[in-house]
Amino acid sequence: MTSQYRWGMVVDLDRCTGCGACVVACQAENNVAICGKKEISEGRNMHWLRIERFWVGQYPDVRARFLPVLCQHCHDAPCEPVCPVYASYHNPDGLNGQVYNRCVGTRYCGNNCPYAVRVFNFYNHEWPNPLDNQLSPDMTVRTRGVMEKCTFCIQRIRRAKEDAKSENRTIRDGEIQPACAQTCPTDALVFGNMADPRSRVAILSRSPRRFRLLEHLGTHPSICYLKGGGREHV
Amino acid sequence: MKRRTFLQLGTVIAAGAVLDGCRSKNEQLIPYLIPPDEGITPGKGTYYASSCNACPAGCGILVRVSEGRAKKIEGNPEHPINRGKLCARGQAVVQELYHPDRVPHPLKRNGPRGSGAFTRISWQEGIGLLTDRLKALQREQSTNGLALLTPHLRGTLAELTGRFMRTFGSTNHVSYELLTPDLLRIAARRSFGQPTLPYYDIAETRYLLSFGADFVDSHLSPVKYGSAFGEMRQGRDTVRGHFTYVGGRMSLTAASADRWMPAKPGSEGTLALGIARLILAESLYDSGALAMNGLEAKKLLAALDRYDLPRVAQLSGLPQGAIAEVAREFASTRPALALAGEMVAFQSNGPESVRAVHLLNLLVGSLNRPGGIYPDAGSPSGPENSFAELIALIETMRGGHVKVAMIHGDPLYSVPPATGFHDALAKVPFIVSFSSLLDDTALHADLVLPDHAALESWGDVIPVAGTREPLVGLMQPVVEPLFDTRQFPEVLLATAHELGGRMAAALPDESYLELLKGAVRKQAGFGAGVDFEAAWVDLLQHGGLFKTKSVQPTGYRWSSDAPPPLPEDPDFAGDQKTYPFHLIAYPATAFYDGRGAPYPWLQQLPDPMTTVVWGSWVEINPETAAEHGIGFGDLVEVSSPQGTLRLPAVVYPGIRPDMVAIPLGQGHRGMGRYAQGQGVNPLALVARQGTKQQPAWNATRVRITRISGNGELVTAGHPQGSLRSELVEI
Repeated sequence: MTSQYRWGMVVDLDRCTGCGACVVACQAENNVAICGKKEISEGRNMHWLRIERFWVGQYPDVRARFLPVLCQHCHDAPCEPVCPVYASYHNPDGLNGQVYNRCVGTRYCGNNCPYAVRVFNFYNHEWPNPLDNQLSPDMTVRTRGVMEKCTFCIQRIRRAKEDAKSENRTIRDGEIQPACAQTCPTDALVFGNMADPRSRVAILSRSPRRFRLLEHLGTHPSICYLKGGGREHV
Repeated sequence: MKRRTFLQLGTVIAAGAVLDGCRSKNEQLIPYLIPPDEGITPGKGTYYASSCNACPAGCGILVRVSEGRAKKIEGNPEHPINRGKLCARGQAVVQELYHPDRVPHPLKRNGPRGSGAFTRISWQEGIGLLTDRLKALQREQSTNGLALLTPHLRGTLAELTGRFMRTFGSTNHVSYELLTPDLLRIAARRSFGQPTLPYYDIAETRYLLSFGADFVDSHLSPVKYGSAFGEMRQGRDTVRGHFTYVGGRMSLTAASADRWMPAKPGSEGTLALGIARLILAESLYDSGALAMNGLEAKKLLAALDRYDLPRVAQLSGLPQGAIAEVAREFASTRPALALAGEMVAFQSNGPESVRAVHLLNLLVGSLNRPGGIYPDAGSPSGPENSFAELIALIETMRGGHVKVAMIHGDPLYSVPPATGFHDALAKVPFIVSFSSLLDDTALHADLVLPDHAALESWGDVIPVAGTREPLVGLMQPVVEPLFDTRQFPEVLLATAHELGGRMAAALPDESYLELLKGAVRKQAGFGAGVDFEAAWVDLLQHGGLFKTKSVQPTGYRWSSDAPPPLPEDPDFAGDQKTYPFHLIAYPATAFYDGRGAPYPWLQQLPDPMTTVVWGSWVEINPETAAEHGIGFGDLVEVSSPQGTLRLPAVVYPGIRPDMVAIPLGQGHRGMGRYAQGQGVNPLALVARQGTKQQPAWNATRVRITRISGNGELVTAGHPQGSLRSELVEI
């Protein structure tokens, strides 16, 4: 199975301000559950995209750095070979997929993910009426016992593919934007086809500032980060 | 064709090709529960353009509606303010519409105030109760007994409320917001003779120097300036803009800075003048700009003589070397831009400190130039002393002269108790709230006439700032109203109609929509040949009127009679011995002034700097925390001359050791199940400074005491970040 698409993302850390708009966009787009205080205190938060914040140095020479972490869609994904029921699989476009109705909840994949981006439904979550009206019909609502994670908004990819197919063309650069990239005020997140060397994402991924998260593990992520640069005073 | 169908067809085209849904074969199998002429196709989203009113920035939004329900809010790519981008707060507005605790119908109080005991009544009865009270005031010839308190309103709604109060014969009409930019307007008037807020050309600048302006989280237009910041950093091939932040607490905005200068609170203006003096003394200024503004370098240098480097360094608590370096960089990197924000303005010497920053822009020739500041065209004029008006209203209420208070918004939460507002309001015999959730004010109201949610409302949204072209964003209902609610202006019109006489004559409009259309028609300046109905539909499709006939404000020019800015020494409530720490109450990224608190997405959104969820916290420097034996998450008592609060501590490396900070937005008594009882409201600590008619919310001193080891603090991440930063190489 080959595909002309290899979806990837570039995260420019020099642009990222850590504002959190992407986190809410992701939650809104993908029916990610609302978790209360108790659940989060148990470490059972349900975000597909989180912003890590690091403190570097000490007062007054201190810096805070932000790192948006979402599923890296690894090409050698540690989560895939451990799934006993093939719920975690690799699709032809290079996406690391998760089939919710196959998942039996062993949590092996979550355990094996070095980026800790897979979240498990420890509880059945509720959207008290009329809050359930906001649930997107494009996405299933996951129940207790199912592992879930970032899909690069695969529902948007599918729709664009169908559109492109009906017009007998390939998907244009910039035609698909996952919810996080679409809303990012500073344009820090760029999504596109890495297999097309002229796409914006491919051009950015060749920047000398590039690095991949935990590169030494050999997971070959689809997400490329660009270091913050420039003059530093601390 | 119905209007709704027409709009749907149009908006899909306007919103771009991506938005067109798939036509699956299943479409014919799903029965149409709703008649097809409503244009609803199961499984297919339709996008409606509207405007966000979650904060004064006024971004344009597209709401995805599927099967008659609003699903998701995205930025409107055509809107000049946000260009398709949207912040976390704007996206959560859909939860205002579907909040499970919305007030579904009018309510009448049937228990003691604040108990939350209400009975359901009809709209007819509700408006009847209000008009009876108003008629009584008219009979007694004491029409000034009516007060109307709202947030800052602009556009048609401001016009309508103004007309309502004027015709009724009451002067007690106050528009007040906690984070009002009044002080920035006062400063601009003193320096430039016009009260326009600044428009920052951040995208084109090469050196950004912010004095407490948190432009990516709360200052004026966060999405607009956040987007411009991204461009400043990486939008140009050869230039990466530099960013220096001055402020005692490292805010979310400051976290993106290349250099952070933790100046003592209240010393920011002095620091700006120190930088200005150095630029003048070393002749690094733009002589053309100085001459154009009628200033002489020599005279100015003499006026700033007191601000020599050693003294400024001592007052601001910063090293001399760093100040001199920033001054030289700022003056020699063109274009350079200096901003002053709320953290500076809400000090006792606020306006003069803001003016000191104006002077910096002038010295490097950044007024009305690319990469500099321009007068903003969003809302060139606005209230300049709404706080003084609020204080006057409080006095009137305290004297028992207000008989009926109509309140939109939640002042019981957002007005600091130190003003005496809470006691004064309790003396008003009849309070009407228009809140759509039972917030702190609605809980104390005698009558609740619930407003529509924003996504059910008509309106015009004029951005407070963030544009050089005047524009009007439009709000349209994207779904049918969920409950038996009515839009606030409709209630005003209905009340005027009921009152009859002069009131009915002054407010003859059938509906708010008619009034709105009339106002937009005037603003658009359509000629006689234009089919207004078609033009109106076109405006709604695109989200507003982005090209108006209004004139742009004239450029900034230093007033000939403006003295050089001279901020006095900062003044703080509480003596240093008993209260050793400065308190900063800053707007939380997720909640702004508290308006975001009822939405669970925002409660669950980890605070970017601390990763705290569902609660409040107090930020303490690690050194200070160690001295007081306070650990991460300990319960701490914070006391000021005004009040005492208990909340968990966050050991925060980015704050001065003599300062503590508490985010605003939590600590609601009401506001629905998600906000109620979460955290504390730091406004309870804020003291009012003397008799000045000027808000100085960041000029209070506090002391801290450790209470116990369990503050019930919940963070989404590890305090240091869950991956070690060496590992990820950032």
